[in-house]
Amino acid sequence: MNTKDSPGVIRSSSGIELKNYYTSEDIPESHRDRVDSAPGDAPYHRGWHPTGYRSKPWRIFQLSGFGKPEDENERIKFLLKNGETGFIMEHDRNTADHCYNVDHPEVVARREDVGLTGAVMQSVRDIAICLDGLPVDTSFGHAGGAVVQHAPFALAGYWTVAKKRGYDLSKIAGTGQSDFNLTYLGCVTKQQIPTDAGLRFNTDIIEFCGEHLPRWVPVSIAGYNAADTGLSPDQELGTLFANAVEYLDEIKRRGNVPLEQAAKGCAGVSFRASIHIFEEAAKLRAARLMWSDLLRSRYNITDPKTANLRIHCVTAGSKMTYQQPLNNIVRGTLMALTAAMGGVQSLGVSGYDEALSIPSEHAHQMSLRIQQVIQEETNFCAVTDPLGGSYYVETLTAQLAEKAWEFFEEIQQQGGYLASLDSGWLHAKAAENQHSEFMALESGEQHIVGVTCAKEDESPFEVDGFMGTDDAFDVATERLHETLRTRHEAGACAAMKNLEAVCRSETNIMPVMLDALEAEVTLGEIGDIYRDVFGDWNTPIQT
Amino acid sequence: MDHSQKRILMAKTGLDGHWRGPTIVARALRDAGFEVIMIGMANTDDIVRAAVDEDVDLVGLNIGGHINVALRAVNSVREARPDVPIFAGGTVPPHAKKQLEALDVEVFPPGSQLVDIVAAADRLTGRSAD
Repeated sequence: MNTKDSPGVIRSSSGIELKNYYTSEDIPESHRDRVDSAPGDAPYHRGWHPTGYRSKPWRIFQLSGFGKPEDENERIKFLLKNGETGFIMEHDRNTADHCYNVDHPEVVARREDVGLTGAVMQSVRDIAICLDGLPVDTSFGHAGGAVVQHAPFALAGYWTVAKKRGYDLSKIAGTGQSDFNLTYLGCVTKQQIPTDAGLRFNTDIIEFCGEHLPRWVPVSIAGYNAADTGLSPDQELGTLFANAVEYLDEIKRRGNVPLEQAAKGCAGVSFRASIHIFEEAAKLRAARLMWSDLLRSRYNITDPKTANLRIHCVTAGSKMTYQQPLNNIVRGTLMALTAAMGGVQSLGVSGYDEALSIPSEHAHQMSLRIQQVIQEETNFCAVTDPLGGSYYVETLTAQLAEKAWEFFEEIQQQGGYLASLDSGWLHAKAAENQHSEFMALESGEQHIVGVTCAKEDESPFEVDGFMGTDDAFDVATERLHETLRTRHEAGACAAMKNLEAVCRSETNIMPVMLDALEAEVTLGEIGDIYRDVFGDWNTPIQT
Repeated sequence: MDHSQKRILMAKTGLDGHWRGPTIVARALRDAGFEVIMIGMANTDDIVRAAVDEDVDLVGLNIGGHINVALRAVNSVREARPDVPIFAGGTVPPHAKKQLEALDVEVFPPGSQLVDIVAAADRLTGRSAD
């Protein structure tokens, strides 16, 4: 990774040998006639929209949340007031990722951790508090549900609150996530449904949204989680599309909905924007090109609305340093610029305190300001695809796509994306890269400012970890008991019975999940049904 | 100098599944000749049980959450195995680092070098004299 084999050879993060300078001759033959395409035209590497950011700058879209649902609500309102143009709900990872209530023994054993990484939301009552006063009808909301088994609950909760407020679900815009890379590769949790059950959940969500919530992005495959675990940019691309075909092939096999509609549901993805600024921008251009090529060649889909990939980016959290944290404002700016040069539709910039904690209010504000300075002051939005035609970037775009297809093929040879997760093959690839990245730092081939060089720190600003609130566990425990005591018990039991029956069948899970949320069934009860019906994923690595 | 293979227990105190850090550290320690027993996400009881049953020479904690969860694990291990040193890594902000150091826990925040972690393991297990 990132290595210089000898003083004369410099490679990109994807292992592509870089030249001192590029000319038109370097652009691969197959890519040359694509260089002059216009933004908004196939193969879309030059951008998804003909007039780009002139028509609509990227959405400022930050992860946010901690503590009690009302703490998260307050932070989201702070961000919206300060210029965020969409909002993301973070659920407490301890409870959400595992589908546990706070009274689960594994959670009780770590009670102080509860609420540190998102608000605790165990029932629709909690979700309603978190969404109180937020513009779910006019704003683009992310309902949470990053982990696959949590997504049906998180989505149904968001939609139930929206319905109760009188909004028509068919008009609501927003996104879910249910990311396999997070669930089974990047953040392998203690208990998780097996990957085949996860595939069923995600295809259920895609089909359900296609029918009932056409403006909603049902699932969002996150290359980010593959990349920040260690996969290189070409591998991040190859993995993302190997994941996408797993969904689309399954939907094709099921034959319930038109494939084109389902492909549209898979066309909102996220990538990591990391610090090698030209390669990362080229990666985003390559992603659009690859999606368009994939849909045409594999599924015969060419409709621009579907073949046009929409990209959310998050700047690389793992590049943010613990030492001299204010330097991270510079890193965040560079990575944000990379994402913008790559033509993203939305962007979140990691907080400068990322290596210490979840973002403080000030770190969050800086993440917004970085993006606002680029949008408002630099005239960046005037010209679409500013790197288009650069001999270097066009060459890298084509080379990355080619390398990514090779990795895609390697995954197919492993039996496909799910098989490569089940066997631990992808984890081993990530671990290999992690190791060589570290070795390059230890040997002094690579440097990180403030960490391996320029270590003197005269900063008068003390940055300590933001710890949120300290009552999240206690309040969540009280609220859980109150919900269980005051809900209509017969209705909740009936909804759980239906949910279990549907889990055991091949019927789409989302209608009964909406009923379950309406009946105030709690997260842990739903998790118990999953564990009973599906069992646990056999984790290929020790975490 | 003691030439028997020293045993290190590695555990994550939180329920968060980021595995990058502990995996890299475990590999470096194995490469340096230690026997590493990885138990992954573990609560205080699991950690204490493993520290006793596995008869380890050093306990390594990956900390990703609230400092009190880590402090509970440290204090319980100390009670059960007062002879065993403890070191820790992960997203440990400065205030939490100070609290751990006050309990004689050596802390390696993000950006630490593997060579320093291995040197600490050598020293804490008595493989080297420095």
